[in-house]
Amino acid sequence: MDIVVGISDVKCSNKNGDVLVTYALGSCIAVAVHDPVAGVGGLLHFMLPDSTLDQTKASQAPAMFADTGIPLLFKSCYQLGADKRRMTVKVAGGASILNDTDYFRIGKKNITAMRKIFWRNNVLISAEDTGLNFNRTVRLNVADGKCLVKVSNGTLKDL
Amino acid sequence: MVEKILQSIRKLPAFPASVHKVSELLRDDDYSTQEVVKVIQYDQAITANIMKMSNSAYFGSRQKIRTIHEAVVFLGRRHLQSAVVTAGASRFFQASKGGYVEKGKALWEHSVAVAVMSQILSRHLRQREDQVLYTAALMHDIGKLILGEFVHDGYEKIQDLMERRSCSFLEAEEEILGINHAELGGRIADQWNFPPAIRDGIAFHHRPDLLEDEDSIAGLIYLSDQFCLMAGIDGGIDGLAHRGIGSVMKQFQLREVDLERNLIVLLDELDKAADVLQLVH
Repeated sequence: MDIVVGISDVKCSNKNGDVLVTYALGSCIAVAVHDPVAGVGGLLHFMLPDSTLDQTKASQAPAMFADTGIPLLFKSCYQLGADKRRMTVKVAGGASILNDTDYFRIGKKNITAMRKIFWRNNVLISAEDTGLNFNRTVRLNVADGKCLVKVSNGTLKDL
Repeated sequence: MVEKILQSIRKLPAFPASVHKVSELLRDDDYSTQEVVKVIQYDQAITANIMKMSNSAYFGSRQKIRTIHEAVVFLGRRHLQSAVVTAGASRFFQASKGGYVEKGKALWEHSVAVAVMSQILSRHLRQREDQVLYTAALMHDIGKLILGEFVHDGYEKIQDLMERRSCSFLEAEEEILGINHAELGGRIADQWNFPPAIRDGIAFHHRPDLLEDEDSIAGLIYLSDQFCLMAGIDGGIDGLAHRGIGSVMKQFQLREVDLERNLIVLLDELDKAADVLQLVH
């Protein structure tokens, strides 16, 4: 079954046959994690880099920000039996508009914030399709961890 | 090519006259509810849409509104204009014929999001809502509906120009089709008898810096559009292939954190506007 992950949302599953999917990333980033042994997959679609922007919002909707959403994604997967040491991490999104000036940097800020969080927590990103100026859709197959990225120009990538 | 494109807009059905008529009536502070109801009632599709919208959380409805009279009273001067324009515009997005936009619904959602964002920015920057701005923001991509039909063969060429030469979508359109969707939208607005402020807002929504008019609404539509594209609420194949124009942020003294905060407000308001988004299937 397709389970749709909206903007500022996170979903996890351990059901064979489930596909987690998130549409139209823009400058937002999708983080897809998978534990092949436990058969657990999780998908986060965060919009902004830093929860200090709005603490109230961060407590209501932690998946909105990189620094509150990524820990939530991992914790939700642990609850289904996933183990950090076995989990693969794939990321996509963080697009920017062309020759963006200093004023439109959300995509780049999201990429930097996300990398920093993984770096600090000793987590390696195993595949990445970020930046440029495309809109992306991400599908994560819970059974085998296959992660497909569809780009707004029509190309399909197997991350 | 350009000639063919321009000819095709002449075949477009007229913009619903009842919408213009209501705008006219609302220009008078002392407008008569009865007269407004009469005009709206004449157009069944608009009446049905107004009923759906007046019961939507976006307009803050708490109790069930049952008649068009109740709706007109409830929406009041503040919301009536935008509700009527939205009700009237939605029909053009229903029957999209492909090309740029897979479904008219996607472009409709983008258009409503940009209109909603334009009001968030207007409240933030000018402490008021702005119905003219709302109308132009809702219609800003109307040119895409027409241009999309001519793009069949040009589609790949546009993609190719954007990728190989890092052209913006707008520049690629100009090279392949001879006209961009913003300019075409401006001409459609003219044909539909919208005032010049709305026409210019649409025609310059990607290049507000080219318009030598400080009071123009094009800059706010530009920002609303870019913010929605960044949030992933896009309207077609162009993705984020548009030029950043920092001077517009400077002109409105907007900082990056304002942009981020306004994106949060946008998500909240779009949640409430679900009924408006569903006007197009």
